[in-house]
Amino acid sequence: MTMASNDRWQRVAARAEIKHGEALARELGGEPIALTEIDGQIYAISDTCTHEFALLSQGFLEAGEIECPLHAARFDVRTGRCLAGPAMQDLEVFEVKIEGDDVYVRKILRNGG
Amino acid sequence: MFLKNHWYVAAIDNEVSRTPMRRIICNEPVAIYRTEDGAPVALEDRCAHRHLPLSMGKLKGDILECLYHGLCFDRTGACIKVPGQETIPPSARVRAYPMVERYHWLWIWMGDPALADPAQITDFHWLDDPAWGAATRYLHAKANWQLIVDNLLDLTHLAFVHTTTIGNSALVNAKVKVERSPNDVTVTRWTIDAPAPPTFVKAGGFTSNVDRWQIIHFTPPSFMRLDVGATPTGTGAPEGRRVGGIGMRNLNAMTPETETTTHYFYGQAHDFDVKNSQTTEMVMNQITKAFLEDQIIFEAQQKNMLQVPNAPQVDINADNGVLQARRILDRLFQEEQAGVRRTVAAE
Repeated sequence: MTMASNDRWQRVAARAEIKHGEALARELGGEPIALTEIDGQIYAISDTCTHEFALLSQGFLEAGEIECPLHAARFDVRTGRCLAGPAMQDLEVFEVKIEGDDVYVRKILRNGG
Repeated sequence: MFLKNHWYVAAIDNEVSRTPMRRIICNEPVAIYRTEDGAPVALEDRCAHRHLPLSMGKLKGDILECLYHGLCFDRTGACIKVPGQETIPPSARVRAYPMVERYHWLWIWMGDPALADPAQITDFHWLDDPAWGAATRYLHAKANWQLIVDNLLDLTHLAFVHTTTIGNSALVNAKVKVERSPNDVTVTRWTIDAPAPPTFVKAGGFTSNVDRWQIIHFTPPSFMRLDVGATPTGTGAPEGRRVGGIGMRNLNAMTPETETTTHYFYGQAHDFDVKNSQTTEMVMNQITKAFLEDQIIFEAQQKNMLQVPNAPQVDINADNGVLQARRILDRLFQEEQAGVRRTVAAE
């Protein structure tokens, strides 16, 4: 992974590694993230279920929603929104940019940083 | 809770003879014997008159005579004679369970006989196929059948329970993929470039690292068919190229006896040295050794679960396949309770 100068983007994967229908597990600054492709766009969400911390990338990706492998909580992979329990909290989403074959991700800062 | 509208394994072929045997299946007592021309019969093992097990009685030709008052039942469960009287009460009959002999196992249908279709019997052909060497054994487990399904769906336990046979620490970090459809679950595990466990060294003579696969296929209610094996590492097994090495099938059919005990039928088939009975015996003994280790585990779990009923439990990532199977079973229980007739597609 190369650190982009001081704009916090980190390269996390090659575009070709993100296969349609499967979430790719990667890390951003030590935090598990999951990358998915929906209608040609790449999305990045936290890979930790907000219920009991299962790895969502081991779950089931269907029609833009990911189902947690353990207790079947569902999240929208584009917005991180929690759609079905037993999880109650939404997932953090990350910004994604593609440059050539490289996928870059960064945390979204809330206070305009 | 038991799923009734399914074929279950009731016995191994060599257990069934002209001497009736008794087995409790899904809490129902069953008497099993062979007719004079060798056909297997399964009747309710409880005389319609005063409840004595019919398996304590005498087979006269194809007729089973109760030991107590001599009532005679034919293979359809009808009473055909009541000693000391001419008439036979119309209610004097016992249930007859559909039974089919296939793959060296006797299969019994525990539900509505009108729904019993032998085409739905799960495929265990490796037990009876000249392309494979195979053997089968029976284990009585004092544990609920679902604990054994769980045990076979999460094979990370091999690294802790079976280090003298089929397990080693490399298995803990296997690459795992779980696939599911409405009526089955497949867990595929690959352990790349790691030492072979003792059983595989004995079976395959491996002297250096291997690529090892474990493909676990669950079909309800309790059929676990595992495709397992290994090849020397780097020869392309994960890409679908099989170069030497060993391939086996570990075949499991758990039949509920009661809510806390299970008839565990298992078989091991091998695709190497298929005609060598010593190889067959060796792999079967290795698997049996491992399964006796599992028996200690699930019997201790069951005892503790009875000691502390309904205690909560925590799931870990490796429980993915286990939980997908439990969800399928829960749905099937609900459907059966609701009286929905559904046929689970046979393999």
